[in-house]
Amino acid sequence: MTVSHWRRPVAWLLAWAVAAAAGAGWMAHARLQSLQDAFVTDARIVHRLLSQRAVQHDAVMAMLPLLQPPAQPPGDGAAAPLPRLPAAYPQILAALRRPPGSAWPAPLRAALEAAEARSHRSGHAELAQADLPAGRLWLVLAGQAAGHALQLDLRKALPWDEWPMDPAASPVRVQLEYEGQSFSVQGGRRLAHGWHYGFHKRLAAQSQPFDVVLERDVGWSELPWGPMLAWAAASAAALAALRALLRQRVAARRAEELLRLGQVARLNQLGELAAGMAHELNQPLTALLASTQAAQRLLDNEPPDVDTARHAMGQAVGQARRASAVVGRLRRVVERPDLSGQAQPLALPAAVHDALHLLEPELRRRGIDVQVDAPAGLPAVRAEPVALQQILHNLVMNALQALEQAAAGQRHLRLALRTQGTQALLSVRDTGPGVAPEARAHLFTPFYTTRPGGLGLGLSLSESLAQAMGGGLSLAPSGDGPGAEFHLLLPLAGSPP
Amino acid sequence: MTASLSPLIHLVDDDAAVRDSLALLIGTVGLRVQAWADPQVFLAEFDRGGVGAIVLDVRMPGTSGLAVLDALAAQGVDQPVVMLTGHGTVEMCRRAFKAGAAEFLEKPVDDGLLIEALQAAVRQHVRSRERHQAGRQARERYAQLSGREREVLGLIVEGLTNKEIGRALSLSPRTVETHRANLFAKLETDSLAQLIRRYAALVP
Repeated sequence: MTVSHWRRPVAWLLAWAVAAAAGAGWMAHARLQSLQDAFVTDARIVHRLLSQRAVQHDAVMAMLPLLQPPAQPPGDGAAAPLPRLPAAYPQILAALRRPPGSAWPAPLRAALEAAEARSHRSGHAELAQADLPAGRLWLVLAGQAAGHALQLDLRKALPWDEWPMDPAASPVRVQLEYEGQSFSVQGGRRLAHGWHYGFHKRLAAQSQPFDVVLERDVGWSELPWGPMLAWAAASAAALAALRALLRQRVAARRAEELLRLGQVARLNQLGELAAGMAHELNQPLTALLASTQAAQRLLDNEPPDVDTARHAMGQAVGQARRASAVVGRLRRVVERPDLSGQAQPLALPAAVHDALHLLEPELRRRGIDVQVDAPAGLPAVRAEPVALQQILHNLVMNALQALEQAAAGQRHLRLALRTQGTQALLSVRDTGPGVAPEARAHLFTPFYTTRPGGLGLGLSLSESLAQAMGGGLSLAPSGDGPGAEFHLLLPLAGSPP
Repeated sequence: MTASLSPLIHLVDDDAAVRDSLALLIGTVGLRVQAWADPQVFLAEFDRGGVGAIVLDVRMPGTSGLAVLDALAAQGVDQPVVMLTGHGTVEMCRRAFKAGAAEFLEKPVDDGLLIEALQAAVRQHVRSRERHQAGRQARERYAQLSGREREVLGLIVEGLTNKEIGRALSLSPRTVETHRANLFAKLETDSLAQLIRRYAALVP
């Protein structure tokens, strides 16, 4: 059987596991993908913002030589502070100007001089005394007239108003790195498990060659567990529904099979009965024939052997008795119990409906148009349910087989119910070829059939059953229309039995 | 050997009445009948050497007639078998003939049919026994030939003249002629045609 492995629960569990895993995996993948996209976008924004700030510092730097030098305290030859800038830019902690011939303040001198020398060569501002962990650094720009230096506080340089993330809550780690030092812009969150995204790009400002490094750890808890579980539940429900549907179909097929099997079994029993009967009768008939023919031959002899012939005739008589005993025994075996005792009130339309329902696939396959005329309020009949089903089944089957000989568009089956005196009458009429005149007389005779392969028992059995229930079955006189019409009469439940 | 007696019909049927009446009927034409109620006893005891035929009922309790038929065929029993059945199907009939049944008749059987079938079967059996007998005689006589005579017989059967045989066996035609006369005498044959008909099949 091809359906058997679908019945095994393990197969279903496996199918569900595959479906649930595939769906959940796809969801997780989509979530990770979107998290990564968001990270990359944030990282680009952060890089752009920080680069803009750095460029701004360069711009401020470039602007310094244009500023009017403050009144120079004469004589000390030291670089002078530019007091107005820190007020305008909070990240600028200090701004120094070193006029030609003067020196940088003492503690910074060496570092700033070295940076100024580099700036001379590169033509742009250079870093000095960069202390990234503290966020402090100097920028030095050499010039024709004077050198300038700015001390910056990176922490105040961060553009929080345009920041794409919530710096306190965001799991993204942002750092600026320079020569092994690093400045933590945003702490983020570190995880030992899960997925890791990274972004690494140098600031777009020559004077501040910091690497912008962003990192993002995605933990298991960030997967879309709700939808994933919902999907698993939904797929389980869908598979359970499918399984139930398949089971139902299997059950329906099994029921059909059982019905067919029951019919076959009945036929087999009947065949066995007939074969047994044939054998039981054949033996005495064989002996009877042989004895009488032997007697004939013995009497034809010249001279006739009368004694032996008499003996043979005695044998023949014994065998005739034996055959008749077989028939008597058979009659007692197949005698049907009286059905009138088991009769009960039944709704005939419902019984008709049941019979048609059973044969519905057959009727549909042959394209037979079925019409049932049942007047409302038809009183119940008194019948034995199984016997009635058998009669109805036989009548519909007969009509169905007759209709196979009708043209495809001309296959009509009409079942009409009405009361007739104290009886209910069911008329079953088909548009098949009808009953030939010579067949009408033998229609209810056992073993009479017009169908090749037919047993010739259906109508005779139906008639016996109907009569046993106090009703009757007859062939309606051939009317004007084509086909055959059978009338089943059954006593109404209210009538005296 | 019982071959000298009149043919014997073995009748195997479990039904006593059928046995008795069929035995009576078959007896009316002068055939002897031995009736058997049990197919196993029949298989164990019946005389395989006798001339006659077997009538077998298909439907018997214990061993079916078809099984008995198969057993007979397996034992090489040469008596023709007439099958009798109450309800013969085409399939059963086919099986019976395939297993070597001579005839297949339906019960109740008409006397004419049965007797005719039995007489035909007995005639067939007698003929086949005679053929068998002749074949055995031929083998016995062939065994008496000397090696040279057998060679000469082989070439005669192939259609060679004495001269050609002499050349083939490096003998003089006279010697060939002597061998030829000897083998004709030993095989008790008068004509070349008879010789070839009876002994061609024995030449290797």
